[in-house]
This record gives sequence, structure tokens and C-alpha cells, in this order.
Amino acid sequence: MTAVWTFALARLAAVLLLGLILGRLAGMTGVGVVIAFALYLIWQLRNLYLLERWLRLRSQLHPPSIGGVWGDVVAQVDRLYRRKQYHKQRLAQLFRELRRSTAALPDGVIILGGQREILWFNRRAASLLGLRRPVDVGLRIDNLIRAPEFIRYLRSNDYAAPLVIRPPAEIESYLSLQLVPYGAGQSLLLARDVTHQHRLEAMRKDFVANASHELRTPLTVISGYLDALAEDSGLDAAWNGPVRDMRAQARRMNSIIADLLELSRLEVTEEEVPREPVDVPRLLERLQRDALARVGRPREVSLTLESQSGLYGAAREIESAFTNLIDNALKYTPVEGTVRMVWRVDAEGGHFSVIDSGIGIPAEHIPRLTERFYRVDHGRSRGQGGSGLGLAIVKHALQRHGGRLEVHSVEGKGSTFTCHFPPQQLLRAAGG
Amino acid sequence: METADLTHHTSRRFNEDLEKVRNELLQMGGFVEQQLYKAITALVEGDSRLGEAVATDDYKVNHMEVSIDEECSRILALRAPAAGDLRVIVAIIKTITDLERIGDEGEKIGYIASRLATMERPADKYREVKHLGRHVAQMTHDALDAFARMDSKAALKTAQEDRMVDEEYESIQRQCMTFMMEDPRTIRRALEIMWIVRALERIGDHAKNICEYVIYMVHGKDIRHTSLEDVARELDVAPGRNP
Repeated sequence: MTAVWTFALARLAAVLLLGLILGRLAGMTGVGVVIAFALYLIWQLRNLYLLERWLRLRSQLHPPSIGGVWGDVVAQVDRLYRRKQYHKQRLAQLFRELRRSTAALPDGVIILGGQREILWFNRRAASLLGLRRPVDVGLRIDNLIRAPEFIRYLRSNDYAAPLVIRPPAEIESYLSLQLVPYGAGQSLLLARDVTHQHRLEAMRKDFVANASHELRTPLTVISGYLDALAEDSGLDAAWNGPVRDMRAQARRMNSIIADLLELSRLEVTEEEVPREPVDVPRLLERLQRDALARVGRPREVSLTLESQSGLYGAAREIESAFTNLIDNALKYTPVEGTVRMVWRVDAEGGHFSVIDSGIGIPAEHIPRLTERFYRVDHGRSRGQGGSGLGLAIVKHALQRHGGRLEVHSVEGKGSTFTCHFPPQQLLRAAGG
Repeated sequence: METADLTHHTSRRFNEDLEKVRNELLQMGGFVEQQLYKAITALVEGDSRLGEAVATDDYKVNHMEVSIDEECSRILALRAPAAGDLRVIVAIIKTITDLERIGDEGEKIGYIASRLATMERPADKYREVKHLGRHVAQMTHDALDAFARMDSKAALKTAQEDRMVDEEYESIQRQCMTFMMEDPRTIRRALEIMWIVRALERIGDHAKNICEYVIYMVHGKDIRHTSLEDVARELDVAPGRNP
């Protein structure tokens, strides 16, 4: 038992004893005790009143100075209160700093609830998306950002990549939006202004397309005259070699420009791939015939059609992708090697593979193969007359059809390039 | 707040139904906005394909109108809403009609734009038409925002924009007449442009109508055929009566 309690009990005992003694002196012991009790009770009530009043008006009053157990209670309540006050202030300060830092974020942040309703947003989000506080809190985000692509994006459940839209308020700019789900049904919507990047990208694409187009006309004239020179019997025989080289280089330049134009067409076009039926088996048979007609081709060029199914898509783009892959295989496979083409269909979609027994590609180069003008080593492809754009074209053409390119290769043993097409692009043949 | 009205209901199903048609209406609005934007771009950039795409996509707007209309009739028949809820339904039914008309005007613009793309474009690249187009597109957008937020003040402000649209329309009309008088070879193009600006002006009117329905929905006041100044005064005097 602590000292305060001993003291309190001693005080009670003293009061009772005093009442008893005074009562005995006055000859009325009972009355004396009752009066002593009453006085003690009044004193306690007063203390209780002081405590209650202080608790009620805590913000205005100082803690009352009362002694005994009550004083201890007051001191402890006061301490608790101060500690709570201190934590509250720290929390408030932390929250203010957090809010300041999110407000200073260069990106817009919106917190969405389970119904995609807006719970909170920072200042940048407000200015990017034209949101207003506090009326927009509680509204569903798709009520305010009504772009059909965005609504489709919200429903798609695939938020791995951001979506680029034109914001509602300004027509000239572009916004990138990305949804990041977290917790129980909540999600974070990040908004970023990508107008600048978008414009640069558009400029780059335009430049490539225009430059290639402009280069084409002078080149046609040059190759025309070179062809005429090659057939001119009056030309000094010493020029035969140079003219032949110039013609070869002009042809190569022509194919680079054709590939650049093809690539920029694939990149720039925003319209969806048409759903024309493409008869893949017939296409591949034709490509095989072309390959067999080549001079210096590998000994064996085979085609295995495990399925008669076709694809939906743009015939030209699919053909260009396949042609590029077959071309590469033919180029990098020696005469005594083999090139096999396989078309098969399973539950995961359609797969076209080109398997060669050529020189192969070192593993570290594989991830970068589809970059434009990427060369595994400078000696090899230049001699073969490649444009350096073939695989980039394949990649883009496949992407537009929802497909992807897979590359396996062992150096010195050969490579396998496989195009995967998703099932929804398949045109199932009857019975196959 | 008026929006809170939608969430305090004895019948949760009813509430969900109402919320659903409201969302569908705003989705339809988003699609119409995009159609309008594409139609204007098709004209300004001389993109005949885009113009045709707008014209062929108009059937989607019509489908949306029919489906929302049916949903509203179903709610009216099954739940017999009263007071504020009834006004929301009535406003939705009226708004989709105007949205559908905006879609039709957009289709018309897309169609004419694809035809104009084959003709020589004027030196100013339809600067005035573009400006007018932006203006009415913004109005449509603001009207739908006001609908989403149940914001009668914004609705009134947007409705007042219509006067400026009318002025722009007249100025382009005069300009076209001048062109036609100066050089009769431009008459064909100028006539097509007249159709387009006429369509844009009509879109401005439809956007204004939507704003009026928002005010009706929030305040229970029919302000059609009332001067906007009177409406502004009334709304200031009796702000947000909310039965």
C-alpha cells in the first residue's frame, strides 16, 4: 500500500476518532460520529466536484490543487492528458508533413474506394483532371473521367500498363493514368502529364517516316542510272566492279528505306488491326516455295503444317513478320544446314516456329535483338545485306496482333524463333 | 447535399438501380463527347477515315439511349419514385434524348468532314470552326460534369455560355457569305461549312438543355423558356431547396 493510501486511511481514522471523542464529551457518541462522517463526506464531495469540473473544462482550467488520493488522481489524469496531447500533436504534424509532401508530388494521386469512388486526391490530381474539393469526394471516378477508353481500362482488371488519354479539360494534352490496387478493394490512381513525351515521340515517328519517304525519290533516280550503266556495253571494263558494288549498295539502301517505312507505318497507325481471315497454311507454302527458289539456300528447307487453322489479322503484316524470320534463318544458316518451319495450334493459340541449324546467337544479345539497328556483331549482318530492322518489324507486327516473339538460341548450334498468337486471333479450320 | 439524397433510401435496390442508370448516362455522355471530339478533329485535320468512323459509330449512341430509356421506364413502373427521385429519373430521360441528338449532330459533322477532306482546305484550316467546336465540346463536357456533381451553379454558368456560341455561329455565317460573294468557287465548301457550324450551334443548344435539366433535378424548378438572369436571381434567393 502506498503512502498516500496509508495517509488517507489515517486521516479517516483521525476524523472518526475526533468525532467519537467530541461526541463522548458532549454525551452523544452517535451524533458525534455521524457529524464527523458527514463532514468527511462533504470534503470528499468537494474534491470530487473540483475534479469533475476540471475534467469538464480541462482546456480552460489549471488542475485543482487538492491533497490526498484525489491529488494523486488529478496528477495522473493530467499526465495522461498531456501525453495524449503530445502524441496528437505529433500525429497531426506528421499528417501535415505527409499531406504537404503528397501535395508537392509532381504526379496526381487519387485514392479510390471499392466502388471506384473518390476518397482523397492531391492538388496535382485536381489540376490535371479538373477535380474539385470537396464536391468530388464520394463521386465515382468514371462519372468525371468519362473517356470510353478509361472506362474500358477500369473494367479490364489488367492494370499492368498505364493508359494514355486526353484529359477532359484540355484537348491538346495527354495524360497517363495507372491504377494500382491495394488493400481491400481500394486502389490508387496515378495521373501524369505526358504531353511532352508524347509530342517528342510523335515528332520522332514523323521524322523517320518523312525522311525515309524523302530519301526514296533520289535513290530511285540513282539506281535507275546505275542499272543503265551496268547494261551499257560502251563503258570501260574497269568500271564493271564499282558499278556492280554501287548497284548492290543502292539495293540495300532501298531495302532499309522500305523497312523503315514499314516500321513507322506499324508504329504510327492507331487503328486496330483488321480482322481479315489469313490462310496461314497456304501463305507458308508460298513462302517455302520462295525460299526454295533462292540461290545458296541451305540444303533442307522443310515445312510442317500440324494444323490447317488460319489467323484473323492483317495479311500483309503477318506475311512481313514471317518473311523476315524465314529470311534471317536462310541468311545465317550455311548451305549444308537445315531450316524447318512449323505451324501448330493448341489451347494457348497459334505458334509459328522457324528452327535453323545456323550459327546461333550468344545469349547476352537475345534480349536486345528486336531493337532497331541492333547488331550481334558488326562483321556478320552487314555482309549479309540486312537492314537491321527485320526483327523490330516482326515484334511490332506481332504486338499489333496480340502476339509475341520468343527466341531460343545456342551459339554454333542454331536458333529457334517462335511467333505466339493468342487464341482469340485464331481462325479454326473445320476439323483441325 | 443533394448527392447524399441518393444514398439515404429505405430501399437499397432502388438506390442501386438509380445509381446504375446515372452511371450509364454518364458513360453515354463520355462516348458522345469523344464522338464530337473526333468529328472536329476529322474536319480540322482533313482525316476522311476518322470522319467515317464517327458516322458509323453513331449507332452505339442510339443503342445506349434505348437501353437507358428502357431501364428508366422499368424503374418508373416498378418503384414509382416520388419527389427528388422522380425528378432524377425525368432528368435522365430528357438528358439522354439531348445526348442522342448531340450524337446525331456529331455523326453529321463526321460525314461532312469526310467529304470535305477530299476538297482543298482553306488557308486558315477552319480556325473559326475549330474554335467553335472546342467551345461546344467544352460546354457539353461542363454540362455532364454539372450533372455528375449535381451542381446547379455550374450548370447555370454553362447554360449562359450558349449565348457566346450563338454569336460565334453568326460571325462564321457572315464570314461564309463574304467568301461566297468574293469567290463563287468556294460556294460548295462554304455551304458544307454552314452545315457544320449549324450542327455545332445545335449541340450548344442541347448542352444548354442538359444544364436546365440539372437545375430542374436539383431545385425542382423548370427553367425552360425563362431568361437566365431571372433564374440566376432565383437561385441566389433560394439556394438549394431540397425536399
